[in-house]
Amino acid sequence: MADGYTGKVLRVDLTSEKIATEPINREWAKRFIGGKGLGARYLFEELKPGVDPLSSDNVLMIWTGPLVGTMVPLTSRYVVITKSPQTGTFLDSYAGGYFGPELKYAGFDGVIIKGKASKPVYLWIKDGKPEIRDAKNLWGKDNFKTEALIRKETGESHARVASTGPAGEKLSLIAGVTSDLTRNAGRGGGGAVFGSKNLKAIACRGTMGVEVPNIDEFVKMSKEMLLKDVVENPDHAGSITDGTPIIVDMSQNAAILPTRDWSSGEFEGSAEINSDAIKTRVLVRRKACMGCGLACGSWSKARKGMFKGASTEGPEYETIGLSGSNCGIKSIEAIIKFAEECDKLGLDTMSAGSVTAFAMDLYERKILTKKDTGGLDLKFGNEEAFAKMPAMIASREHIGDALADGSKRAARKIGKGAEKLVIESKGSEYPAYDPRGSIGMALAYATSDRGADHNRAWPVAQDAYGSGDPWNPDGKAAICVEDNTRTSVKWSFIFCDFYAVSFKNMAKYYTAVTGAPADEESLRSIGKRVWNLTRAFNAREGFTRKDDNLPERMEKEPLQSGKTKGKAVPRADFEKMLSEYYKLWNWDDQGRPTKQTLQEAGLGDIVGKLPYLK
Amino acid sequence: MSKGLKAEKEKCTGCQLCMLVCSGTHVSKFNPSESRINVEDKFPEPGEFKLNYCLQCDEHPCVESCPVEAIVFDEGLGIYVVDKEKCTACGACVEACPYEGCWLDPSGTYSIKCDLCGGTPQCVEICPKGVLKR
Ligand code: SF4
Ligand code: SF4
Repeated sequence: MADGYTGKVLRVDLTSEKIATEPINREWAKRFIGGKGLGARYLFEELKPGVDPLSSDNVLMIWTGPLVGTMVPLTSRYVVITKSPQTGTFLDSYAGGYFGPELKYAGFDGVIIKGKASKPVYLWIKDGKPEIRDAKNLWGKDNFKTEALIRKETGESHARVASTGPAGEKLSLIAGVTSDLTRNAGRGGGGAVFGSKNLKAIACRGTMGVEVPNIDEFVKMSKEMLLKDVVENPDHAGSITDGTPIIVDMSQNAAILPTRDWSSGEFEGSAEINSDAIKTRVLVRRKACMGCGLACGSWSKARKGMFKGASTEGPEYETIGLSGSNCGIKSIEAIIKFAEECDKLGLDTMSAGSVTAFAMDLYERKILTKKDTGGLDLKFGNEEAFAKMPAMIASREHIGDALADGSKRAARKIGKGAEKLVIESKGSEYPAYDPRGSIGMALAYATSDRGADHNRAWPVAQDAYGSGDPWNPDGKAAICVEDNTRTSVKWSFIFCDFYAVSFKNMAKYYTAVTGAPADEESLRSIGKRVWNLTRAFNAREGFTRKDDNLPERMEKEPLQSGKTKGKAVPRADFEKMLSEYYKLWNWDDQGRPTKQTLQEAGLGDIVGKLPYLK
Repeated sequence: MSKGLKAEKEKCTGCQLCMLVCSGTHVSKFNPSESRINVEDKFPEPGEFKLNYCLQCDEHPCVESCPVEAIVFDEGLGIYVVDKEKCTACGACVEACPYEGCWLDPSGTYSIKCDLCGGTPQCVEICPKGVLKR
């Protein structure tokens, strides 16, 4: 059937070393598309509630979608889906590059991995033929070497590799999955799940292609859309000229740029780490993911100074905000080095930056000393010490051992008041938009299904970066609900965040690739279905209102300067937004989908599987 | 003057849209490994994209190397193209080409080489960064 799907799912049991190919669940594919939605449905079905995410009982999945690998722009993505060892929630973590399409060309829409290998292995897939291979020589190697070694060993110079680095092997809960060297499914600790299963990598090479109905029409439509809806779309101007680093100045102006562990929203060194700094000092060339006409990525290289020769793709805004300004680092070159280290070692740059900033804060407060830091003078802004932190975290040496588990767990271990200083929700470190200058972000972070996150709702676009009032709680819940619905659809196709694609055009693509009818309404109901499903997943794991949390400092520690001077997130406003949000979703007062809501969302089949509804 | 594609590879971002459209139009599916142009991402070193395609070079050693005369001159386009029917996939042209301009298709049945889409190269049309020219 030529409908974008390969129609096949690979099922692997690492304990028994059994591999099987099975048809994709067509009924679920209709109801959930692919990516986030389809993966969530499979996970809900296959994972027992209450399972330790780092035990062999956790289920690890990779999913693509029907458009992945086709010519439709900005859809070359894959998602890692599992139960997060960092947050205990549903986890969907995405990466672009070339791996997702390659998996489809190799014959599979998705891979479902269970069990635990008795020794290090990797999964090799060549044109529909999967194989579990020995990874003795790869264990301990960084992601760059792992890719090179797998290509050498398989003799496939075009093989694409998604691997875990040394950080994931050591079960760091902030370890991501890295593909194409610099593309990361970073958040939530997917790399640790790889590590816990003794799975070093999933590698593939495919020459089978992806088929769609009516290819001539499809090519014509894709060409038109690439030009009109992508390249010439004014919403994409910044992605074409700058990419995400353009946000540094926007955040600085709005005074919401995390600085020195969230103690300020303005950073005096922002001009040293913004998009201009990248363009004038380190940019080598612009870089795209497969099928993308924007090329928001920048291949950058430090040309002088202490970090000369270090290179990375980016650095992206989140990396700059959380490992740059938040660590008091005034050098784009130092951030490049930090990002390069994180990519090699397999650490999420967002969480690694955040825990480094947190450790610097504790060091300045004398809660940590040189004894903890292995002699490093871990003051804010110390570039040399800063650049050594990824290695310390990934190897779990000194304070790195605690930091490797994320700032919430680290704080518990360190004690001495550190617990009160952590900026997280459900254990996931905050992204780089300070809610004290855009209070809707506090709601977005608290209600994100995978823990604090900016890719489930992004109200900051409408206030701090737009014309709305950043401190008025009214209407913020509605923005989040709308964003949740839209992103749930986007992440099910899987579209890139930077494609400002309308529901109408998503429906057009859906029909073009599957041949089945779709419109804005049908896609909206899929979005609502998916968001209710991941919420129900978390509710089944025991999450309730208290887990949709606001860090104490956001409430009690007002910012000090610029537009956010004297501003915090009043607790009453936060609770008001949260109640309104639950109401808009028709959830109970604990934030759990009710029976009626689930039935209306087309999720009647999971009602019986939710203990809280009995 | 060679009549093949021309590329300003410094502008290339590695999106592979050229490969997607090429395979979409030549083999009716999206399959970059069957594209007549091949863009390789060479990172972290040297940190650039390498573009492989037939230059339609003046010397065309591929033509002379072919034992069954499968690389034939197309009068209309003024370029050498592979006659798929005649090609035995022996790989002599692949060896002979100094520019990595042709290669065997993944199933190993014939030699793949740019045919300029019969006159309006799709990759030139689609390239969002203006890398490719006819
Ligand atoms: S395939 Fe190579 S040798 Fe033959 S014409 Fe093209 S560039 Fe020249
Ligand atoms: S379409 Fe253009 S930018 Fe994209 S890979 Fe091909 S030549 Fe490079």
